[in-house]
Amino acid sequence: MLTAIMVFMIVSSNAAGDVLLTRGMKEIGDISAVSPLDWLRVARRILTNWNFLLGVLCLSVSFFSFLTVLSWADLSFVVPATAIVYVVTVIGAKFILKEEINRMRWAGTLLVCLGVALVCIP
Amino acid sequence: MKTAIVITIAVLAQAVGNTLLSKGMKDIASQPAFADGFSLMMLLSAMQDPIIWAGIVLLILFFACFLSALSWADLSFVLPATASGYILNVFLAHRYLAEPVSASRWMGSVVIVLGIALVACSTKSSDVKRADGKEATERSETC
Repeated sequence: MLTAIMVFMIVSSNAAGDVLLTRGMKEIGDISAVSPLDWLRVARRILTNWNFLLGVLCLSVSFFSFLTVLSWADLSFVVPATAIVYVVTVIGAKFILKEEINRMRWAGTLLVCLGVALVCIP
Repeated sequence: MKTAIVITIAVLAQAVGNTLLSKGMKDIASQPAFADGFSLMMLLSAMQDPIIWAGIVLLILFFACFLSALSWADLSFVLPATASGYILNVFLAHRYLAEPVSASRWMGSVVIVLGIALVACSTKSSDVKRADGKEATERSETC
């Protein structure tokens, strides 16, 4: 049960991190820095973007949860089980970032779910 | 050829990195000081463990290879190619961490990789559109 909660935490913080990073990077815009001064400007824009910073925080939570669960659970279970993040990210991309999801992507997402279900069979 | 080398390094680095993290964390958890179960001190002592750091360095190497492959290759190719690492992960866990892996777990890992390949295929058309759009704006800038 605790493993399931940890996998849920890894997946939700990873997906939230990805969505926040994407939103942050889109706000920052196209990075086409040439001179060192341009790079500094880009770095400042990135490091003052709340979506980006929150995204990094979420990904750190995800990483430390992953480390924690590895202290007792099987790697051959945790790694495939966390693949469900692809599904959560697609749902996040659709409803939060308003991206268009075609049928093929839904089919792939469904296959990932099926795979994760197979991995979870004891 | 360049893509194949970089993706191979990425897949190997991720699978070996995860295996090292798992080995490191299990070693720490088996210490008598942490016999009561998980505590925050465990994460602190993980941050002083060379095996954990080796795992983190390999995961950083994976991320760098993944990002650089994306700078010239299609995401629709890079994503399923690196996703094959799921199977390698299960294999390494079975071989070197002596984890029992059931038939359904093997099958599940293969189905996950197939699913990710489908997701990646579906990104192809939109990526091409975006690449075209970007090219067009670059051209107009130079004009």
